[in-house]
Amino acid sequence: MGSKNGSVISRREFARRAAFVSAAASLSPANLLAEKPVAGSVPELQTPTGPKLSAESQKEMESRLQAVFAQYGSRLNDAQKADLRRLAADGQAGLDRLRAYPTDNSDGPALYLRPLMEREKKLSSTPPTPKPTGAPKKS
Amino acid sequence: MPGEEIFYLSVTELAKRIESKKLSPVELTQIYLDRSQKFGPRFNAYATLTPEIALEQAKAAEKDIKRGHYRGPLHGIPYAAKDLLAVKGVPTTWGAKPFANQVFDYNATVIDHLKNVGAVMLGKASMIELAGGSGYRFASASFQGEAKNPWDPTCWTCGSSSGSGAIVAAGLAAFAIGTETWGSIICPSAFCGISGLRPTYGRVSRYGAMALAPSMDKIGPMARSAEDCARIFAAIAGHDLKDRGTIAIDKAAFTYSPSVSSRSLRVAWLNNAWKSLDGGTAKPFAAAKAVLKKLFGGMKEVALPAGPWEEAGSLIVQVESAASFRSLIRSGKIGELADPLGQIAPYLNEQYSAPDYLQALKVREIVQKKMDAIFESFDVLVAPSQPVPATPLTLNLETGLAFPDPLGAIGNICGLPALSVPCGFTEKNLPVGLQFVAGAGDDIAAIQAARTFQQHTDWHKRHPKIH
Repeated sequence: MGSKNGSVISRREFARRAAFVSAAASLSPANLLAEKPVAGSVPELQTPTGPKLSAESQKEMESRLQAVFAQYGSRLNDAQKADLRRLAADGQAGLDRLRAYPTDNSDGPALYLRPLMEREKKLSSTPPTPKPTGAPKKS
Repeated sequence: MPGEEIFYLSVTELAKRIESKKLSPVELTQIYLDRSQKFGPRFNAYATLTPEIALEQAKAAEKDIKRGHYRGPLHGIPYAAKDLLAVKGVPTTWGAKPFANQVFDYNATVIDHLKNVGAVMLGKASMIELAGGSGYRFASASFQGEAKNPWDPTCWTCGSSSGSGAIVAAGLAAFAIGTETWGSIICPSAFCGISGLRPTYGRVSRYGAMALAPSMDKIGPMARSAEDCARIFAAIAGHDLKDRGTIAIDKAAFTYSPSVSSRSLRVAWLNNAWKSLDGGTAKPFAAAKAVLKKLFGGMKEVALPAGPWEEAGSLIVQVESAASFRSLIRSGKIGELADPLGQIAPYLNEQYSAPDYLQALKVREIVQKKMDAIFESFDVLVAPSQPVPATPLTLNLETGLAFPDPLGAIGNICGLPALSVPCGFTEKNLPVGLQFVAGAGDDIAAIQAARTFQQHTDWHKRHPKIH
């Protein structure tokens, strides 16, 4: 069977969200939010088998989780809350990797999927317009 | 009961017999119905059988053909539709208990297209609840129960088009319609030893189909061969004013004729689609690769670009599915789903932010361009459909079927067509599949390459013994 790799998201993760076990599960959210970062460093919270999260990411994950608990907590038992915490930790790791990927303003927003059926080569295969001799240089 | 072989004839072969009036659509439908009633429950293959509709359509087909009005290769051919496609007056459960009594008063466009070419609907195929859009941990994540693999009923069919896979593999229908947002046609086709086409995004209308992630949802055929897939695809493809996601008329339509001289394809083997090949799949894949090298002289190797494609795809699906199932989530009815993960994961999906979603969409466009550059040099990329054979029914999918799938992510967020065909068996007699991926809109290249492979192999002609 395929091995789990903590640094790479799993296939069809949208359907299953990998079951990383977060040490944060044993910490109450209040404790985590109150925790002070070590001066002069950005500590990474290493979980036993789950993803490494920076303190900032851990905080963000907790915030997201608290939003779920605030809205739906009455529907969830303790086991489900712990399960959600594991999912949230994994999701946070994925978000961190996604955000780290460089994009700029020229990368289109792809607000809806338009499959690229018109190859760019059609444009590039157009013979370049010959430059007039003696064209002034751009300053 | 007629000989078993008739249940495994291709659409192409059945069509020849029907057109020449050697095979009666009514008789064919009746024997498929009998077989489906007998064996369907064994594999949890169907959500609903619709014998009244089937026989009515079969009688109409027979009458038309007798009068000389033959409509083409699907006329009188029995099929099953995944239970997320609306069929007027018939329960459409989306594989989920909260929708057990859902009935639409209209047909999905795909159902109407198939009706128009004279195909005969036997019933609705079982599926993973909400097509996996709420998350799932076990094969049992279905209102219809776990779909069992006809090659080994202790194994799963894969999902979410699980019933569609079981039905075709067990010879309960000549073909089935499946859907894919990420892996739901390719994986069941591989696990079940059948051929399945995930078309280019937007070539097949989703009107009347359950929405999961609207920017990634696709509908495609699952059948006995690449050629069958092409014929079915030709019937269901096309622009639809009712689905704004369909692409332009001239690009959406698909016509297929095997006699049309095929173009010379530039085929490349993807060398980083999977980290490892396990469960006895390495040997059949090596043999298949050797066949491909002979068929496509000069086949080169190429690597997928590196990037957070899976992260982008996952986020797009999570956010869009949270929107699609908002009322289910808010009402608390997700608690009625069968799978423990499905009962809770959507709560988290609601929390992801618009900036992160937009970043995922930007990344999607970047990888689209990267893949387009690869398709400047190659027409078709080939890789194992899955790096493992069918998995045990009881497996925890979170831990046991978790491996990186960059090709699945890229293929689905870019809307690329892919066709999975059987390419061998493990020592435990479980089928394995090979996928042919082409550039967007170039579905014919994937079909042509897969068909060429099948013209030189006979894996697609093998089937499990069902008694």
